[in-house]
Amino acid sequence: MNNTRPNATFLAARMQTPSSVQALTLVIVIAIWELIGRTGILFAELFPPMLEILQSLWRYVATPLLLPHLKASLYEVGGALAFAALTGIPLGILWGSRQSWLEIVEPLILYAAVVPKIVIFPVFILFLGIDVHSKLAVGAIAAFFPISLLTIAGMREVKKVYVDVARTAGASAYQIATHVYLPAIAGQVFTGIRLGMGAAVTGALLAETKIAKAGLGFMIVEYYGQFRIADMYSLLLFIFILAALTNWAMKALFARLSPSARATQDAGMYF
Amino acid sequence: MIVLWEQIVHGNALWLTGITLFEIAACLSIATIVGVFAGFLLWRYKLIGNSYEMFLAALFSSPVILAYPIFLVTFGRTSAAVIALSSIFGLIPIIINTKGAFQNVNPILLQVGASMNLTRKQMFRYILVPAVAPAIFSGFRLALTYILKSVLGLEYVAQVGGVGMWLSDAAFKFEVEEVYAGLLGTIVLSILFLYVINRAEVFIRK
Repeated sequence: MNNTRPNATFLAARMQTPSSVQALTLVIVIAIWELIGRTGILFAELFPPMLEILQSLWRYVATPLLLPHLKASLYEVGGALAFAALTGIPLGILWGSRQSWLEIVEPLILYAAVVPKIVIFPVFILFLGIDVHSKLAVGAIAAFFPISLLTIAGMREVKKVYVDVARTAGASAYQIATHVYLPAIAGQVFTGIRLGMGAAVTGALLAETKIAKAGLGFMIVEYYGQFRIADMYSLLLFIFILAALTNWAMKALFARLSPSARATQDAGMYF
Repeated sequence: MIVLWEQIVHGNALWLTGITLFEIAACLSIATIVGVFAGFLLWRYKLIGNSYEMFLAALFSSPVILAYPIFLVTFGRTSAAVIALSSIFGLIPIIINTKGAFQNVNPILLQVGASMNLTRKQMFRYILVPAVAPAIFSGFRLALTYILKSVLGLEYVAQVGGVGMWLSDAAFKFEVEEVYAGLLGTIVLSILFLYVINRAEVFIRK
């Protein structure tokens, strides 16, 4: 008896850590999930067995089943991010370089940023059709705002004395942009690109769920339409894991390139 | 603009706007009541707070909106599905901000309260609440922005509810003027909302 008491105390102390509570919570959630699914007491069809979900997830990873859809989505998100970065960064630098422009442009961007970008999708369908390009356009518009806003925020932090010194040394506007502004705002720009990636994923994939011929978002709605709930869950899980891995890789890369990109939050990035 | 005006005067634009506003108000009420309470509990019970903060952050940095078909299966193609999912987007910033607000209360304020022999209730009412209110309002403001985007976006994608559904219907019927009118209506509504929030923030901070 005496031996069990210290062990119990030790175990209780071990359970008093956040990671133990997190693990315990996951175990409880999975147990409740299985209980509801197997007994059918509440929305049985919404709780397929975990094993079925994991088997479906493994099928996505191990077979080329999703490849055409993954390619379509990657093309849309990658294209959207490239387009948003190529327009958002130069415009952010331009707008942020003069206080008078900033006073006019910044409130307009802040107000436009609140509008859900998915609602512009029907207009893009009118001009670009229902193929990948209309989704790319939605993703690009969604990613443009975080990228340009964070570039502007970076520009605000650039010390005026750096620009004055470059001007005194006879640097051109292009040289000032590339040699003074860009290195100084790199951290904010990288964060903007990362948040822009989140916005592009949400914009493009949400548009795919509305109308599309291919893509991961399109497949979510296909499975929903066929009531293949386990496949739908596993696809969502696949997207979440892919998004988290991409975010982690970008974060690591940008932190290496610019230490000031390290201390940033991800809150609400997929919006 | 003529089509939008006609829809406001003779059509059902006002009714649809009313539905969207109702959905936003419902989400905000749920997010505020549950969020402030949950945020307080997460601050009060530190182990639980530290453990679940990571889950909340992970949830907030995932494309959860793509899971909307699950809500359509659960609640049907109704406003309830829009409200349920959009409330989550409002809930998370309110929980995080509330927990952070309580955590960042200046300990000197609490010491002053203790030295004045305030009861727990008085301490809460006269020290904690005024100290945390501005930070909670920041969470509330953020929540409203996310809710607005989510409600309008989901209405359009799932074709349920108010203004977003109107836009989706018009696009489905290929009525170009109505698509632009619906888009204009959505943009005006979003901008008006942000303007009202900004004014409210200025008013509260006074």
